[in-house]
Parts: sequence; C-alpha cells; structure tokens
Amino acid sequence: MIRSILSLLLRALVVVSGASIVTFILLWNAPGDPALAIAMARYHQVVSADVLDQVRNEVGLDAGFWSAFKAWIGPLLAGDFGKSTVTDREVWPELVTAMSYTFPLAMLALVCGMCVALPLAILATKHPGSVLDRAAIGMASLGAAIPPYWLGLLLILLFAVYLDWLPAMGALSTTHMVLPALTLGLGVTASLTRIIRSGILDAREQAFLPAFRRRCVLSRNIGRDHIAPHATIPVITVFGLELAFLLEGLVMVEVIFGRPGLGSFLVNAIEARDFPKVQAVVLLTALVFVVINLIIDVIYQVIDPRIGEHDA
Amino acid sequence: MLNVDNISVRRGKSPALQDISLTIEKGKTLAVVGESGAGKSTLIASILGMLKPWCGTITWSGSPVRTCRPALVMQEPRAAFNPAWLLKQSVLEPVIARQSNLPPKRLKRLCAGLELTPDLLNRKPTEISIGQAQRMGILRALIAAPPLILFDEPLSALDAVTQKHTARLIAHLQAEEGFAALIVTHDLGYACAHSEEIAVLKSGRIEEVSTPQDFIASPKTKYGRKLRDAAVSLGALERAA
Amino acid sequence: MRSVIALSCVFFLLAVFGPMLAPHDPTAINIPNRLNAPSAEWLLGTDALGRDILSRLLYGARRSLGLAFLVSVIGLCIGTLAGLVAAQGGTAADWMIMRITDTFLAFPELVATVVIAGLLGAGTESLTFALSVTSWMRYTRVARGIGLAQKSRGYVVQAKLAGLSPLAIARWHYLPALVPSLTVVWTGMFARAILGISALGFLGLGVQPPMPEWGTMLLDARIHMRSTPLQMIWPGLAVVTSVLAINLCGDALRDALAKQNGHNLRSAQR
Repeated sequence: MIRSILSLLLRALVVVSGASIVTFILLWNAPGDPALAIAMARYHQVVSADVLDQVRNEVGLDAGFWSAFKAWIGPLLAGDFGKSTVTDREVWPELVTAMSYTFPLAMLALVCGMCVALPLAILATKHPGSVLDRAAIGMASLGAAIPPYWLGLLLILLFAVYLDWLPAMGALSTTHMVLPALTLGLGVTASLTRIIRSGILDAREQAFLPAFRRRCVLSRNIGRDHIAPHATIPVITVFGLELAFLLEGLVMVEVIFGRPGLGSFLVNAIEARDFPKVQAVVLLTALVFVVINLIIDVIYQVIDPRIGEHDA
Repeated sequence: MLNVDNISVRRGKSPALQDISLTIEKGKTLAVVGESGAGKSTLIASILGMLKPWCGTITWSGSPVRTCRPALVMQEPRAAFNPAWLLKQSVLEPVIARQSNLPPKRLKRLCAGLELTPDLLNRKPTEISIGQAQRMGILRALIAAPPLILFDEPLSALDAVTQKHTARLIAHLQAEEGFAALIVTHDLGYACAHSEEIAVLKSGRIEEVSTPQDFIASPKTKYGRKLRDAAVSLGALERAA
Repeated sequence: MRSVIALSCVFFLLAVFGPMLAPHDPTAINIPNRLNAPSAEWLLGTDALGRDILSRLLYGARRSLGLAFLVSVIGLCIGTLAGLVAAQGGTAADWMIMRITDTFLAFPELVATVVIAGLLGAGTESLTFALSVTSWMRYTRVARGIGLAQKSRGYVVQAKLAGLSPLAIARWHYLPALVPSLTVVWTGMFARAILGISALGFLGLGVQPPMPEWGTMLLDARIHMRSTPLQMIWPGLAVVTSVLAINLCGDALRDALAKQNGHNLRSAQR
C-alpha cells in the first residue's frame, strides 16, 4: 500500500517535471521572434533594432538554450516563478490575483453542477426508459456537444442583450459571475449526469444484487450499502475528467466574458510571449491536475486494492 | 537432439528450476512428471526460449532451440486459437509464418491421422468440442513438421475416454512423423505408457531419470516410490503394463 | 438510431459535396449587402463583409469536419502505434511510453492545444499539429491495455512460436482485437476535434481568414451580436449538431459492442 502510493508520487513527479521541460523546449523553439512580441506588448508600437537587442539581452534570449534553462529552473526549484518579461513585475502575485477570479467561478460551477446532476441522475435511474430518464440522457448528450463559448454567447444574447437582467462583460461584482457560472455549470451538469447515471445502472447490474433481492434485503439498504460504493468509482474518475473539462471551459468562458482569470492570463501571456507567465500557468495546471489525479488514484487503492495492480 | 545442459531458472528472486539436465534423442519421447508447482511449466517456457535460464544452455543439435522452431501443444485446447479466426487460418499459421510450402495432401493426411473431418477446419474454435480442439492443436503443432514438439499436459482438459484415444493418436503420429516429444504431465500412467524415458521433477530439481519399466519396478528415490505407489493404488499403471 | 446514422451521413456528404451546393462564393466581399437578414437570395443572411453565410457554412463544413477527421486519424495512428509498442516492447519501453503519455495527459487537452497553437502562430498547419499532438494519449492507453491482455493469450504465444514477426503479430492478432474499442474512442476524439478546431478558431488561433471555418465565423459574428444575432446562431448550430451526431453514433456503437461482447461471453461459458 505505502509502496504503491510512493510509486504514484514518483510518477507524478516525473510527469510534472516532464511537462514543464516540454513547455520550456516548446517556448524556446517556437517560430517567430519572441523579442518582437515582447517589445510590442511593452511599448505598443513598432520599435527599432536597438530596442529589440536590448529586450533580447534583458530577457536572456541571446544567452542560448542551456543558460536560459538554468536561469529558469534554478529559481523555480526555490519556488520563484520569476518576473514578467513584459511588465517586469513578479509573476506569482499576478497569478494569485488571476486565480482569485478563476477559483470561485470553478467551484461555483462544480457545486451547481453536482447539486443538479446528482438528484437528476438518481431520479432518472428510478425508472430507466421513463420520460425523465430520456430527458436526462438528452440533456447530457446535448451538454457534451455544445461548445461553452457558444453557450456563453447565447446566454449573453438572452440575459444581457434582450432581457438586460445581468451584466455580460467584466468581473466587477458577484452578479458578473452568474452568466459565466451558468455557462460552465450547464456543461458540468450534463457530463456529471451522464456518468452518475451510467454508474448507478452499472452497479445495479452487478451479479450479487439479485441474490440480495431474493433474500429480501430492503431495497433502500441495497442502494445505500451496495449500489452507492460501486457507483462511487466512476464518479471519482469523472471528477478528474471534470476538472479537465472545467479548466478547458474556463479558458474559453473567461475570454468571452472578459474576466481577468487564469484563462485570459494564459492567452494574453502567449500572445506577448511572456515566457515566465506561460510557464507558471502550465506548471500550475499540470500540478493541480496531477495532484487531483494522484488523490483519485490513492482513493481507488483504498476502495479497491485490485485496481492498482493491473495498471502498474 | 535436444540437450538441456545444467540450467537454473529464477522466477523473481526464488529459483524455479535448479541444475536441470535432460536429453531427448530424435524421434524419442521423454515424459516429465511431477506435482503442480514442481516447475514443469517453467521448464517448457525455458526450452521454448520464453524464459532465459540464469545459467546453463539449451540446444537442439548444437544450435539454439529457436532455430528448429519447436511446436507446443497447450493444456487448454481452445486457448491456442484466435477466437475470431477460422481454425484453418490458425492451423496454417506456422506454414505461412515460415513462408514454406505445404506439401500437397499433408493437411488431409494429418487430418485423417487425427480423425478430424476437413469441414471442421472451416469452423471457429468455439464451434467444435474440446476433444476436437485438442486434436486441432496437435494438427497445428504438426503441420510444419517440426523436429521437436512439447506437450504441456495435453490430456488434462479431456475426459477419460478421449484421453486414451488422443494418447494413441499422438503415439501413432509420432511413429509416422518421427518428431522428438517432451510430454509434461502429472498422469504417471500416461507417461509410462507412451515414453522411452521418465524424469521426475520435484521442487525445481530432477529426482531421477529412468525407463518406464525400471521406474515401475523399482523407483530409485523415496519421492519416486511415493509417486508410483499413489499411481498403483489408483490403478493408473495397468494401462502401461 | 437510424436517424443518427442518417444525420452523420448528411454531415459526411456536406463535408464532401458542400462546396458544390454553395449558392455564392464564400469569400466574395459585398459591402453594400452587409449584415442582411435571411432572404430568398441570402438564405441565411450575410455577414459583416456582405458574404453569404450559407455558402460560408458549407465551405466551412469541409474545413471543420475535414480537419477534425485528419487530426483524429493522426492521433489514432500515433496513439495505436505507441500503445502497441508499449505492450509488445520490453519493460523499459513500456515505462518510457507510459510516462510520456502521462505527461501529455497532465494537461487538459484544450489548454495544451491553446498553448501550442498560440506559440506556433495562428494557421491551419499549427492548428493541425497542436490538436494531433494532444489527441493520441487515449488511444495509447486503450491499445496498451488490450495489447497487454492479448500478450499472454495462448494464440499469441503460438503465433510467436510459429515464427511470426512482432509486426505480423501486432497486425494479425492485436490490431483486430483493438478495432472495436479504438473505433469508439475515435468517434469521441473526432467530436472533440471539431470542438477544438472551432474553439481555436474562436480564439483567433485557427484557420485564417478569408477561408471560412465555423469557429472563426462565430468570432466574426460575436461583434455584431446586437444587430444580427442570427448570424451567430448558424455556425454554433452546425458545430452542435455535427458533434451530437458523431457522439450519438459512438454511443450506439459502444452499446452494440457491449451487447456483442456479452453474447460472446455467454457462448464461451456455455
């Protein structure tokens, strides 16, 4: 048990360092002149060759790959994300600010999604094939097919343009969070409903359940003691997938609604070739993702020790 | 001639076979008997080159065994066939893999020898009986005329009547084809009836090697005697006599 | 079920023959006719540069669906190959490939795609590269899993003994066993690729103007949301219906396979 958890940890470490090294190589070898992009982002005008050289020198672009790699990895190992090449401010505080916009939105969407999806899935599976069940399936399929940016635009069109109930752009007040959360939440609800529903149905088909029924075990107790644990595993898995979905959705939703969160942070940083910022977001994303998946793996091992064996 | 020279095989950290030496002459049969866990499957895997011996060598007439392309008849008859394929495709696989030509009528002759009707070849593995499947497995092993065939508990999945029948067919075909055979089995009666030599394997070591007659008359070791007495009490050796 | 397959066929035909059905040149700029409402001449109206939206949608179908198809097939090939090598090669190859796979899986696919496409610069090539490079991992996992299960099967051992080369074993024994599961994964990835392409187009990182693509059309339409909201509806609707059709096809396929496997299981137990 301890050993398998340790090996999971080692694996996570390899993955995170691999991810950041791949990103560094990609950043360094991307086509186009990064100095030009950085200068444009700094001065918002076409600059002379001298200024470009100066930018190159400041950022360390002329120093070659290895010294740049060392200059990046050294402070990083000490927990220092470096300074923005555009604004020359520390990356970490800006990242924290961006997260303070992203995190509540993600949580709100996740909680809303869960609150709708769980009762919906349980009600739907009460009578498989009923109208409610079919509606749940239909909603889940539709939710998986609607791109969040289009859904966002539709919601803006309805609530901000026609009805004028809610503000569309920016992040000034909590009311600004309603539409983005709704956009993300609908997607989350759709995929959660789908997974929880099939999780419950699969667990019901387990071979041992007819035996319980024959022995007249209360159907409520069967649900609580036997179906729920079986349905938990796919639900935990989907939490990991849900996170990916959320992060993907966040990038798009923040761009549409003009929220200064992580997604906008990333897109702007890429445009300006602000390497430390891009690196920071990539590293953070990989870290969050790997840690959550690590926790899921460990939970698996606790619930069902067999799972770790054939995935070694 | 198969020559297993002083091999030791480890599985994980514990030794599975220790200091095994065996020889089989061309056209002859060696039966390896022993209880489950004695290392019989490990022996087969090492002869086929699927496990590397930790020390010692295994050769066929001086060159690595792989070069003579030995065939294997498996314990579980249907497992040897891809369930999605027609039996014909699986049976001819060794011929196709070697890009050699099948002598005309060989398939028909072998089918007749194994009492398989040719139309069975156009079925899938699940559509024939276990006994037929095992004879199909033997057919597949024989088809490319290998000089050495290993039998891994060839009869244990079959019922008693089919066992006797299949054992006779194997012996018959061996006389015709002249392959060397290594039969791994826990059935002492079968081993004594159809082999020139018997090797007793226990906990990864060879206890004794002798002819079936000598073994039945007087086993050299205590474990050998125990094995023989158990078989006698079951009446299994009457067939061999 | 039949309607879903029919719908998918319609999209396939649209991607192939769509441009022939287009009533207008999708890139012909016609400023006096800009932002027209749907009419007999412009069935779905015109965009901000006076281009016919229906024609742009039809041309865009080829780009959106065709690119998605290309990307998902590239991913399928890379992923299956990597998975088979991991399953058949030694422990070291397996470890290496699986850690690389994990590394690529450590990002949400779209985030990685945005980073890569953004750094490579906007354009069809970098879009194709970015999406392909982030879409092979699922195939690898599936192919490796099934490959490992096959490895110890009797018939694979027999094939090895018969002298079949590893390549031939992969081709004749592993691949056929992989096809059903990989097809199910592929439909999912195809749908994701459509979403990914339009998302990148919407971020301005995808197919470049003046070539029409559904995501880019949405980006263009967004500015004129107040005056001509319909302009924004069409491309989104095209994305949703095509993704929905493919996903439902995948679901049906998976159910059919599950049923068949169940049947095989029963007949084997009998």
